[in-house]
Amino acid sequence: MKAKFVKEKALSFLLAFPAVILLLAFLSIILFIGIKGLPAVNWKMLTTSVQKGGIFESIVGTLYLLAGTLLIATPLGVATAVYLVEYAPKGRVNRIITQALNNLAGVPSIVFGLFGYVFFCRFLGLGISLLSGWLTLTCMVLPIIVRGSQEALRMVPKSFREAAEALGAPKWRVIKDVVLPTATPGLATSTILGVSRVAGETAAILFTCSVFLMKGLPSTPFQPVMVLTYQLYTLLVASPSVSFDRAFAMALVLLGVVVILNIFAYLMRVHYRKKWKW
Amino acid sequence: MEVVIMKAKIEVENLNVWYGNNHVLKDLSIKIPERKITAIIGPSGCGKSTFLITLNRLIDLVNGARVKGKVLLDGKNVYNPGIDPTDLRKRVGMVFQKPNPLPKSIYENVAYGPKIHGVKDKKALDRIVEKCLRVVGLWDDVYNRLHESAFELSVGQQQRLCIARALAVKPEVLLMDEPCSALDPTATRKIEELIRTLKTNYTVVVVTHNMQQAARISDYTAFLYLGKLIEHGPTQKIFTNPKNKLTKDYVNGRFG
Amino acid sequence: MHLEKPNFLCLKDKAEIILFTVASASILILFLITVFVFEEGVPAFMNMGLSNFLFGQRWAPYYKSFGAFPLLYGSLMIVFGSLVISVPLGIFTALFLAEYVPRWLGDLLKPIIELLAAIPSIVYGFFGFVFLAPRIMEFFDLSVGKTALTASVILSMMTVPTIVSISSEIISSVPKEYRKASLALGATKWQTLKSVVLPAAKPGIVASILLAFGRAIGETVAVLMVCGCVPEIPSPPWNYFEPVHTLTAAIALEMGEVPWESLHYHALFGLGAILFTITFIVNAVADLIMKKAPKGAVQI
Repeated sequence: MKAKFVKEKALSFLLAFPAVILLLAFLSIILFIGIKGLPAVNWKMLTTSVQKGGIFESIVGTLYLLAGTLLIATPLGVATAVYLVEYAPKGRVNRIITQALNNLAGVPSIVFGLFGYVFFCRFLGLGISLLSGWLTLTCMVLPIIVRGSQEALRMVPKSFREAAEALGAPKWRVIKDVVLPTATPGLATSTILGVSRVAGETAAILFTCSVFLMKGLPSTPFQPVMVLTYQLYTLLVASPSVSFDRAFAMALVLLGVVVILNIFAYLMRVHYRKKWKW
Repeated sequence: MEVVIMKAKIEVENLNVWYGNNHVLKDLSIKIPERKITAIIGPSGCGKSTFLITLNRLIDLVNGARVKGKVLLDGKNVYNPGIDPTDLRKRVGMVFQKPNPLPKSIYENVAYGPKIHGVKDKKALDRIVEKCLRVVGLWDDVYNRLHESAFELSVGQQQRLCIARALAVKPEVLLMDEPCSALDPTATRKIEELIRTLKTNYTVVVVTHNMQQAARISDYTAFLYLGKLIEHGPTQKIFTNPKNKLTKDYVNGRFG
Repeated sequence: MHLEKPNFLCLKDKAEIILFTVASASILILFLITVFVFEEGVPAFMNMGLSNFLFGQRWAPYYKSFGAFPLLYGSLMIVFGSLVISVPLGIFTALFLAEYVPRWLGDLLKPIIELLAAIPSIVYGFFGFVFLAPRIMEFFDLSVGKTALTASVILSMMTVPTIVSISSEIISSVPKEYRKASLALGATKWQTLKSVVLPAAKPGIVASILLAFGRAIGETVAVLMVCGCVPEIPSPPWNYFEPVHTLTAAIALEMGEVPWESLHYHALFGLGAILFTITFIVNAVADLIMKKAPKGAVQI
């Protein structure tokens, strides 16, 4: 009798180990990059041009890339989600589109890079440019935004819609005036997660939009761009005797951005879930 | 509330249960006679189901539940610190309101209990499974499809399967929480017949909100109201000539 | 009387038509990817024969040798290695979080673990390159730190969160009724988990493992920086202490210098087509498993 009890307790202790290992792994990355990177990140590094050893254009380039991708992907993703949740919640069409999205979500990012190169850069003639990057990344990030948006839309209570419908509002008005505003925090969360994904992406932009070195910032979307991730990548792969300072700084900025974005999205989700416990 | 009974299998002394700040069972004392069917009746929410799960310590799993008082099984308090709840539940089995077969085959459902308590021999398990399925009247329906999923059975059959499953560990007491409320009248009748046959070997405690059912199947009836035991005695007496006015009103359908 | 002629999709108004068109963009994109990647990859298959390409043992583009097998083997090898680490780690962590940890703690830990998945792969690659590879080299006394083992470890860090978050979700949603039934029969918590909860959760857990596989095999940058990029099958083949090369790393490294429309170019697209096919199949199987889960098992 006692033995069974002891065995149960022992098991619950043992089961804690894998979780602890995971947390340690997480900590080791954060600490390693944090400790080595923090001294390297300073205002000077962030604002000096890449040509002079800083990372300024990379940061701005990343922002350009993010902004454009989101401007295209968010409306597309939200519209798709609206269609799936509001107009075709069941049935064959929904299944086919959902299936396509699931498959899209599973495509490796390097394959997106190949596709982006051959389709946007070559076939559509956009060349290695911001625009190609935006379009390629949109394809890649679409499933994430659609999924997150679907969840946000589904959380809008039926009663809200019914109230508007009972007043005689046509469907698109219900969506525009009731559903979308209510779902906005959730939609924002899914967008933030999309941003995080794009910010950290390397493989898909390898041959579609980024270059290692160029003078200044792109002035039109038809020009290529310098991006943090690609910068770090070429630094480490192409130059063996690399100035680790710069590398650590970049890694830390990337890590910091991603972690902050995810924490923010999480807090938003938690906050709005609590707030709207109807 | 002195009632002359035969040997008591379970004796409850001053049982008090709280869910958080909610005082759900108030100073409950009752003796459950051995090898008889005791029905627990009362309006919804009066604590009947809570009472049941204190008898097999399933209440241990409810967050925020507090238990004070004694529950004596054959004279020993089941809440003593040295008692292992899993052993207790071998002796005090339970059948739930909504049939809840395990996601396994019919055979595996019945064999599950004996297996976890150490029975390994396949032949022994086969014997136990057949015996229990016969007792509940399912054997003829399922003997040739024992390895089909339990979910293939009708709801009434599933409930009988759950009873067979409970019997397979050879309990001394069988607790039944509104066992027929999810079933249609035909299935209900079959289960009631089954319950009546069980008392030769088991002490049965049945919670029911159906008074006619209590009158049909039980030897003793206890009336619970707002967490208190109002009256307890032979079923005949409770229904034809109750001592307490509250009991009288309830069994005559004046409330609940 | 105005009878609406029902069309195939039952589109009712302008808004719906617009939204439908937008929504079907995802189908279009998937279609385009398939078409273009295969279109550029097929010339390589045609040129040397599909089986020569897939099973050829020598990947030496400068010598016009395009046997992809070492790359395929390397990819599978490190993915397998990562699963060996991440599956037990992931399932037990999921079990722990879902069953043995108070709600508030679980809600705190899960996002942290999910954060592991959000870390950019270049950061993982960097970490592996600067921290892990030298440690492994020291610890096992090897001549290089960039090995299949290193790649497997990094990959497992990246994919464990997938297994943990899906599995813990699945485990939590195994109906309470099953647990109550088991406990009422006198089973201990562990017996209940082992014999009732985990089997019911099996389809979902398997699906999560498949998804982790898909993510791992498609990983490019992190792998590239720690695998060694040597397109040879280790000897013996299960030697994880040797460097390997993968489909993804080869594409990433070589695409930049490849002349447009050359055989090398098509070969890289051929690798992409192989990758695409593998992940497509893996995802389809994962979907199928979830749909065909036996009655009583838990659906996502």
